[in-house]
Amino acid sequence: MTVNYGLYVPKQSGIHSLHPLTKLAYLGFCLAVSWVIPGTWTPYLVFLLGIVPLSALGQVLPNILSGAFKAVLPFAISLFVVQGFFWPEGTVLQQIGPFSLKEEGLFFAIRGAGRILMAVSTFLLLSYTTRPDELTLALGQLGVPNSIAYVILSTLQIIPRFQTKATTILDAQRSRGLETEGSLRVRARALLPLVLPLLLSSIVDIEERAIALEVRAFGRQGPKTSLLVLHDTPWQRLLRWLLLLAALGVIVWRIYAALAPRFLS
Amino acid sequence: MIHLRDVTYFYPRATVPALAGLSLDVPAGQFCAVIGANGAGKSTLCYTLAGFVPHFYRGKLTGQVEVAGVDVPAASLAAIAGQVGLVFANPFNQITGARFTVREEIAFGLENLGVPLDEMRARIDDILSFAKLTELAERSPFALSGGQQQRLAIASVLVMRPPLVVLDEPTSQLDPIGSKEVFAVLRDLAATDEATVVLAEQKLEWVAVFADRVIVLHEGRIVADGPPGDVLASGDLTQYGLQPTRYTQAARAALAAGLRRDSAELPVTLEEAVEYFK
Ligand SMILES: Nc1ncnc2c1ncn2[C@@H]1O[C@H](COP(=O)(O)OP(=O)(O)O)[C@@H](O)[C@H]1O
Ligand SMILES: [Mg+2]
Repeated sequence: MTVNYGLYVPKQSGIHSLHPLTKLAYLGFCLAVSWVIPGTWTPYLVFLLGIVPLSALGQVLPNILSGAFKAVLPFAISLFVVQGFFWPEGTVLQQIGPFSLKEEGLFFAIRGAGRILMAVSTFLLLSYTTRPDELTLALGQLGVPNSIAYVILSTLQIIPRFQTKATTILDAQRSRGLETEGSLRVRARALLPLVLPLLLSSIVDIEERAIALEVRAFGRQGPKTSLLVLHDTPWQRLLRWLLLLAALGVIVWRIYAALAPRFLS
Repeated sequence: MIHLRDVTYFYPRATVPALAGLSLDVPAGQFCAVIGANGAGKSTLCYTLAGFVPHFYRGKLTGQVEVAGVDVPAASLAAIAGQVGLVFANPFNQITGARFTVREEIAFGLENLGVPLDEMRARIDDILSFAKLTELAERSPFALSGGQQQRLAIASVLVMRPPLVVLDEPTSQLDPIGSKEVFAVLRDLAATDEATVVLAEQKLEWVAVFADRVIVLHEGRIVADGPPGDVLASGDLTQYGLQPTRYTQAARAALAAGLRRDSAELPVTLEEAVEYFK
């Protein structure tokens, strides 16, 4: 097994080599626009113009499309059913037995699904094109506490090991005659001999891990350095500020537009 | 380097002390092995030297604990971190998981200490070759064998250059090949004379080869202390739940069978045994 960077898809691309904060600022801007600017189709437009081209540049477009589709579909279906049919009142488009599909509800569902699509696809685009340790390093330089970086990174690496351990215990118990397949009751009964050793060994593990981290001066205050060096450029710094300002501008404009009529009247 | 005076320690809710009036002085540069049966207090002693007793395990500690000029019970764990390096049995649990390659894993402690980048790179290259990990530097730490992971844990601690290195049965969870790899690194460490080392260990044959001094712990007390040749060949070992090395056992058997007469110096290592049986 070589190095496993979680969702990261190693590719040589301009998007991959951007500073993580530049990507974060850009995706934050896209997200703000898609959520804040009114219009049923706004999120889809932002997705097409803002996310798809960058995904293509980053050579992760197929990953984004399939990942976003899988994640958004269940939400989209439930939104469609709940909002489409249970919208209190409005233009009825279609009558199905006692249920009526209403136009307002349908549009609400489409917009809601679009927002989820944007949330998922921005997260995926960032994750696919950014090494997690580069992201946490960049966040750390912004002042995000070290412990958060630790939780993100170690979770990415230790959870898969945890699964291996669970499989080992399961195999061991099975070889002692524990039945793990069959009816729900059989499987439920198999859970305890699996969970208990896993839990007990995990308590010891966590204690030892805490000690090991402390030995490596993890709890030390004061300036830290980094073996990993992030590549940054002046124009990226400028771009980040502009994107941040633009995102704030969109949000402020939206709040103003919502409140102004009330103040004026 | 180490100065312990009348150290008594109770784990929380324990009625029997894990360390009972223990006094110990270890000068800088010494390689000191601590042996003793399970439950003798080896791990507790290691944790005391590294400050986890009492700062992590709590409980009640009395007496004086001074390590590398630091008053351990009074100092914070963060202050002790650069001074005492601790390696323990389970190699997997010593991998932080916060770094993705062997090289970066070794860097973790240096990053936390704020070591400048150039110095960090040089120190990492040195320690990679010392622990014979250079070829694995860009691999995932989780892809290594147990012995390799334990060498990584040792390298990750040594690279911080702590004045005192404490190892708590570093090979007890390794297979024979992994153990051998780790002992090879420890032997090199003993040869450098730079660091002061305390090694808790049950494998006496290895202890005999490179320790300057052997201490026997029994029920939280030091019951024997001296050069390996004296302590390991002593007849008292079994009384403390320890098995003499097979070389000593063989010599003693030869003695009992009347094959040998000189009971003065029993061998404890292979080399000495070869000499003895000539
Ligand atoms: N976390 C703990 N809590 C309570 N008692 C402990 C703990 N760890 C060890 N002990 C007790 O302290 C004594 C010394 O244990 P330990 O230092 O682990 O010995 P060794 O490492 O030589 O096997 C034992 O009696 C053990 O039961
Ligand atoms: Mg122990």
